[in-house]
Amino acid sequence: MQPVPYLQFASVTKKFGELAVVEQPFNLIIPRGQFVAFLGPSGCGKTTLMRMAGGLDTPSTGNILLEGAPVGPPDRRRGMVFQSYSSFPWLTVEQNVLFGMKYRRDILQSQKRERAAHYVRLVGLAEFAKSFPNRISGGMRQRVAIARTLAAGSEILLMDEPFGALDAQLREELQVELRRIQSEDRKTIIFVTHDVEEAVFLADRIIVFSPRPALIRADIDVTAVLGAKRDLATRDSAEFFKFRTSILHMLRAAHAKESA
Amino acid sequence: MATTPSLARLFVFRGQLSRKIKFFAGLLTALAAIGIWAAAPMLGWIEPIFLPSPWAVLQALWIMVTQNGLLTDAGISIARVWAAFLLSAIMAVPLGILMSSYRIIGAAFEPLIDFVRYLPVPALVPLAIIWFGIGEETKIFLLWLGTFFQLVLLVAEDMKRVPQEYFETAYTIGARPYQALTSVALRAMAPSLVDNLRITLGWCWTYLIIAEIVAASNGLGFVIWTARRYMATDQVMAGVLVIGLIGLLSDQALRALHRFMFRYL
Ligand SMILES: Nc1ncnc2c1ncn2[C@@H]1O[C@H](COP(=O)(O)OP(=O)(O)OP(=O)(O)O)[C@@H](O)[C@H]1O
Ligand SMILES: [Mg+2]
Repeated sequence: MQPVPYLQFASVTKKFGELAVVEQPFNLIIPRGQFVAFLGPSGCGKTTLMRMAGGLDTPSTGNILLEGAPVGPPDRRRGMVFQSYSSFPWLTVEQNVLFGMKYRRDILQSQKRERAAHYVRLVGLAEFAKSFPNRISGGMRQRVAIARTLAAGSEILLMDEPFGALDAQLREELQVELRRIQSEDRKTIIFVTHDVEEAVFLADRIIVFSPRPALIRADIDVTAVLGAKRDLATRDSAEFFKFRTSILHMLRAAHAKESA
Repeated sequence: MATTPSLARLFVFRGQLSRKIKFFAGLLTALAAIGIWAAAPMLGWIEPIFLPSPWAVLQALWIMVTQNGLLTDAGISIARVWAAFLLSAIMAVPLGILMSSYRIIGAAFEPLIDFVRYLPVPALVPLAIIWFGIGEETKIFLLWLGTFFQLVLLVAEDMKRVPQEYFETAYTIGARPYQALTSVALRAMAPSLVDNLRITLGWCWTYLIIAEIVAASNGLGFVIWTARRYMATDQVMAGVLVIGLIGLLSDQALRALHRFMFRYL
């Protein structure tokens, strides 16, 4: 007997009125603990697919199954980091992170506070713990959202271009950190990005999309090439560079074919 | 030098200005207005019977306060305004939120509210008197009528403007819809809600004077209207002055409260 897949898109299509975002039935199985990057042109439907996995949108046809059962409305199992409005302006950085645990009964208030402080430190915002979001930059606000989602303890993280607004240095740091957390806690992550290098560095697997209506153009196994362990050394390795370049070439070729 | 800003510095398109300069700018305009007011009757531009001097108005005010119980009338007016305002707010805030939260409720109430909203309050005075006589109910009813329907739509709009992401963030950390409403939506809409309540309070004063002129035996509107009958222009103006001052003070107080409550903005 086949084991039940962890997270499965089963023949999913999605239309917004007349606009077909996912036209051909979309099928994808994501095993538990896998880090999947969605890579694709703007407007192709990455956010839409991710929202459906989070229960924030429903497929027009087909199902999204979590351990065999259709996913219901959003819950704490599936945390989401949004592209915009990711933190609450009326809460300080620390309170924003604490908010992630607001409805958890299984941990004490004092533990919540400790955890919050831990994740605030982890995303490098200890210095701004007591600041309101209007006093920090856009990238920092995004980090607040990441810390909140981690603190919430979701087993699936849905992250919509979370590092888009960060500088190279910090981005690298957080990538390493995210990868570490993911492998330690066996979190399953869907991570939308436009950055090929980021996808290659972070993900176990890259799904490359065509322009809308979304089709899977390539399903790339990164771990087979780079291994599961990623650190700063990975980035400098010849394999990383070669792999990244081959994907870039593939995208370029596909783009040229489409434009022709 | 920082203490003597050049004229150019004061007129920066969409620029910043210090509190102190803002205060003095306001004060200067007010003093200029009072100056013109004082000069007009003195220089014979206008008969004092039509425009008594500021000094005469202050004198009238003093007499009205010490001998005619003007403060009682002011108290009565303030009480009416707040009673009607609170009634409006208590009804409008939940309904407005419900209208935005459930499309069906919004669809059901919007046409009716839009219709009543455009009825001019003075046109409904006769009806109010037929229904409620000239007791307190009439005044409260007229003020409520003038503000409730406007406020409902403003509240609904405030709620509608809360970004969907805020709700969704709450859901993905395990909030139920009512929890998302109380811990996220109300917080998110609070600044604009408080602003709209402040504006509504101002409207209450407008309608109060109408109500007190036609259907009252006390209150500031009544005092003004009675003074008019005797052509006591100084008393009329004193009454108007008091209304203006109350309006100014409560507006400033609410603005200060807003700044205090929403320091994160
Ligand atoms: N709620 C909605 N109603 C109508 N159309 C929508 C809605 N959400 C998304 N769309 C449309 O669906 C398409 C896919 O949008 P989506 O946000 O999923 O793209 P994306 O791949 O995330 O793009 P980007 O990389 O720019 O974020 C777009 O054409 C968008 O206009
Ligand atoms: Mg998107």
